[in-house]
Amino acid sequence: MPIKKSRKIDIYAMTWRLPIIIWQLLFFVGPVIFMIAMSFFLVKNYRMMEAFEFINWSKMFSKNYFWDSYFYTITIASISTILAMVLAFPASFALAFKASEQMRRWAIFLLIIPFFTSYLVRTFSWFVILSEKGVVNALLGYIGLGPFTMLNTNFGTLVGYLTLTLPLVVILQTVTMANIDRTLIEAARNLGCKPLSTIWKVIIPLSKTGLIVAAIFCFILSFGDFVAPFYLGGSQEPTLPILILDTTKSGQQWPRAAVVAIVMMITLFSVAFIGIALAYRKKASK
Amino acid sequence: MTKPLVVFKNVQKLFGDFVAVKAINLEIHEGEFLAIMGPSGCGKTTTLRMLAGLEEPSTGKIYMNDQVMNKVKPHERDTPLVWQSLALFPFLTVIENVEFGLKMRGIDKSERKRRALEWLEKLDIIDFSERDISTLSGGQKQRVALARSLVLEPKILLLDEPLSALDAHLVIRMQAVLVQLQRELGITFVYVTHSQSEAFAMADRVVIMGNGEISQVGTPKDIYRSPQNKFVAEFVGRNNILSGTVFSLTNLGAHIETASGTFSVNLKTNKLVKGQKASFVISADLVHLSRSNPEAQNSVHCKLISEEFVGSMVTLFLEDNSNQEFKVQMQERELSKFDLKPDSDIWLSWSAQSAHLLDVS
Repeated sequence: MPIKKSRKIDIYAMTWRLPIIIWQLLFFVGPVIFMIAMSFFLVKNYRMMEAFEFINWSKMFSKNYFWDSYFYTITIASISTILAMVLAFPASFALAFKASEQMRRWAIFLLIIPFFTSYLVRTFSWFVILSEKGVVNALLGYIGLGPFTMLNTNFGTLVGYLTLTLPLVVILQTVTMANIDRTLIEAARNLGCKPLSTIWKVIIPLSKTGLIVAAIFCFILSFGDFVAPFYLGGSQEPTLPILILDTTKSGQQWPRAAVVAIVMMITLFSVAFIGIALAYRKKASK
Repeated sequence: MTKPLVVFKNVQKLFGDFVAVKAINLEIHEGEFLAIMGPSGCGKTTTLRMLAGLEEPSTGKIYMNDQVMNKVKPHERDTPLVWQSLALFPFLTVIENVEFGLKMRGIDKSERKRRALEWLEKLDIIDFSERDISTLSGGQKQRVALARSLVLEPKILLLDEPLSALDAHLVIRMQAVLVQLQRELGITFVYVTHSQSEAFAMADRVVIMGNGEISQVGTPKDIYRSPQNKFVAEFVGRNNILSGTVFSLTNLGAHIETASGTFSVNLKTNKLVKGQKASFVISADLVHLSRSNPEAQNSVHCKLISEEFVGSMVTLFLEDNSNQEFKVQMQERELSKFDLKPDSDIWLSWSAQSAHLLDVS
């Protein structure tokens, strides 16, 4: 009898799991397989042909502009991650430890609001603020500074990335730190830890998992973002997403774009995997 | 008695409108084991937290070695606390936890390690020094928490219900460890608990708190035998509390008329007036049982309601015909002589010396 019972539960569970499994197969696993296959296709006379050639891989890997773009993307996404984590921390710290429960709830609600509006719209609004005759330069003009070129620079790209990631990072950091057992902070103070030192000695170690998850999110979003480097960075140094666009446009090189996309996916998988491993790493017990 | 290490002078603590601690006065002496006991919400933990600097008194002053401590920050004090939740750092190993306080004090690495190992050895957890906190049992964690505080060689150790999460048999064992440590080190222990057995088993002096006030300070025996007021008598439990009015006074004692009869009580310092309301207690273990009327001055005829066994001791719950509840505590082997069943008739009696008059409050 117990066998029958467990089968019944399996069917029940499967029924609920099925939609998400079908969805994932159709719209994730399928396209990925197709993309991998496509990276071996050939393009002749601007038309894609089914084939199994390594030429796209060897061509892309031998091009300096590919590697330049790759390292540039990793670098600027990393800078964006570090900036977001550092800039968000004081705000998250204040929300987690200084704000009342109610204020914290309001703050998190307000931080979700930016996601209601299109990221593209938010990006375009930076034009008004950052352009040569924009708000920032006008204000700086009053104290005799500038004008500074902020659009079409790395600075512009980073502003765009942070527009995307900062609210999320603040939310994740706040929630993580708000859940810390306060007694541990008091215990550290009781044992002689200065108020500011508790951040390094207790708060960061205790919220390590949440902080790493926030950083992973930030890196993934920045690394794969097309909008910020294209509109605010002026794609002067192309990031990998821009390289994909350029490759598909120039001579219909979809297979080579697939190569770039696969490299991006492998990179993000590795970053996420290493990050999660670090986040959940336990000290080896002897 | 040496001069006090800690003095609370009219210390009051408010949280908004709520008075957590009401203008208490208390002296804590060097080298004593002091227990602060009371029901939850009585202000005992707040009192301890003020001593550790985790709360600042709203009014009044706390002195330590004659210095006012009110504004001294927690990390500038030498008042390590053993927490109810233990508050061990989960991201550090056992030895790193023990070294934490030394590290904060800037003691170099080899010296830190030497002292930490010494304490792990002393508390019998040296084998676990490199282990993760999460792999330890409750009793082992307890010892790590103690080591982490004691390694700082403080003058005073604060303990906030540290044994409340342990199994009963471990509590007994840890009580012995704590008492032995305190005697050996000769430092002051301030031990907050709601458990009478813990407080009475370990402390030299016990402070009973209720509603933010100190109700009584005394040795465990004082508190058990001569509770000053109804609150203490009820909190300590296992007491028979009788209330009535003063019927007559003699130079030795008073007769107090209650619903259960008129009983004589010895007077110590209490001043009574005829006709005044008065309450007195008789400890449950000072009440005698007899099958027939003992013809004694203080006796009551009761029916047995129920009994409760705790090891070799038995507590009987009885009621007289005015529905006054009585408790009698005795050895199980003594009780077997009486062959009692529910609803059995029995006489209770006690001597006038055993009856202890409470302060009118």
